[in-house]
Amino acid sequence: MISAQNLTKKFGRIIALDSVSFDITPGEFVFLTGPSGSGKTTLLRLIMREIKPDAGKLTLQGPVKIHEYRRTVGTVFQDFKLLADRSVYENIALPLEIMGAVSADIDKAVKKAIDLVELSARTDLFPAQLSGGELQRVAIARAIVTRPKLILADEPTGNLDPKTAKTIVKLLSTIHEQLKTTVLMATHNANIVNHLGKRVIALDLGKVTNDNPKGKYE
Amino acid sequence: MNSPTSTAWSRIRRSPYQALAAISIMTMTLFLGSIFFLVAAGSQSVLKYFETRPQVNAFFKSDVVPTTQAVDLIKSKLETTGLVESVRYVSKEEALQIYKDLNKSDPLLLEAVTANMLPASIEVSAKNPSDLKTIAEALKTEPDVEDVRFAEDIVNQLAVWTNSVRLIGFSLVGAHIFITFIIILLIIGIKVSNRRDEIVLYQLLGATGGYISAPFVWEGILYGLTGAVIAWGVSYLILLYSTPFLIRFLTGIPILPVPVGFMLTVLGGELLLGAVIGGLGGLLAVRRFLKA
Repeated sequence: MISAQNLTKKFGRIIALDSVSFDITPGEFVFLTGPSGSGKTTLLRLIMREIKPDAGKLTLQGPVKIHEYRRTVGTVFQDFKLLADRSVYENIALPLEIMGAVSADIDKAVKKAIDLVELSARTDLFPAQLSGGELQRVAIARAIVTRPKLILADEPTGNLDPKTAKTIVKLLSTIHEQLKTTVLMATHNANIVNHLGKRVIALDLGKVTNDNPKGKYE
Repeated sequence: MNSPTSTAWSRIRRSPYQALAAISIMTMTLFLGSIFFLVAAGSQSVLKYFETRPQVNAFFKSDVVPTTQAVDLIKSKLETTGLVESVRYVSKEEALQIYKDLNKSDPLLLEAVTANMLPASIEVSAKNPSDLKTIAEALKTEPDVEDVRFAEDIVNQLAVWTNSVRLIGFSLVGAHIFITFIIILLIIGIKVSNRRDEIVLYQLLGATGGYISAPFVWEGILYGLTGAVIAWGVSYLILLYSTPFLIRFLTGIPILPVPVGFMLTVLGGELLLGAVIGGLGGLLAVRRFLKA
């Protein structure tokens, strides 16, 4: 699914990633941990093909064209990135609209995604009318509505209280199990990582410090 | 599902002052364009009218009544030069009739004039206005011809005037089109900048450049189309209002009233021009951002 070999990325004189190597197989749930500035977001941006590596090789499964590749990846952001002038339904429908899906297919897929994140009662509301947890649920529904093979979640619980954060991660775990989606989640929430007992790739100062199939937050 | 046009329309409604600025400058430019186009087209028609009129009048001596043979001889001499489009003989009686027609509103002028007082003449149209002088010189050599008049100066002056109108019009309208283009670029550029996060999100979700650009391009096109309709409407109203005065001013030159079909063609041209300026402005504004 994702194979990184000696991946290096620099921003000027700052080395964001330094010879990072790992492999993620389809269907895995992987936590990417490390303190702020450790290179988690840089790694996710490389996988989203927002930026290119300076050295090393990153092999990604999917189409060659960037926009087509991104359609096969669902992304969840810490700040949700929902459009304020669109309703919950419209926000979730956005990736399908971009793909040029027909209205009937959009409707079917959006309703399924809404059911999965348990937001049926909020369909017509706008982002400003939702709580933090609900906003992240909408973002997750938007990420899964196209049934992507890979979900990238960049600190999805960063803006949430511990209880809501736990619910969101549980939701991502459910989606991973039900849809067999590969999930790569960047976080520095130790409780969540330790609770789920999934694979952990730990980064510090741009280097992989630990890669454990049933890891803990260190 | 939101179409690019409905997205563009909702963005216009959400920033009415920017839309007003864009439509105003577009209207001003297209109004100026339509005024210059109408003036240029009008002067071109006037020029054509004068070019097709008899351009050389050779008047016989007033005591001479030329015989048919004499007139035919002059005609054949002119025709052999190959410079002449048509030649027409106007007898003293026909001259009187023309005089009467021109002065029918003034009976006092009609009473004193008889056919004998007016000279017979030959009216000549040239194939090319530049040959008028040669034709006039040839007619002057005829012994029975007393006076030769030709409209070389009028036609030449009209041609110069028409060219000047075109040149000034093109320069002024061209400069305005450039300014309008820059303003549309700036206005849509501001909107693109305001929607930076939204555009980045679209890119992350796999949107193509075309998908992202389309609403901005449509926004520019809508500004252009609105400006074109307003500019056309105003210029048509002004034209209709001034038509009675212009008809009096251009007595005998049949270019007014302007046919509706012609005005609809002008509208089509303005819509196209407005759409191109607006659409291109929008496209460039968003492309600049996408490339950055």
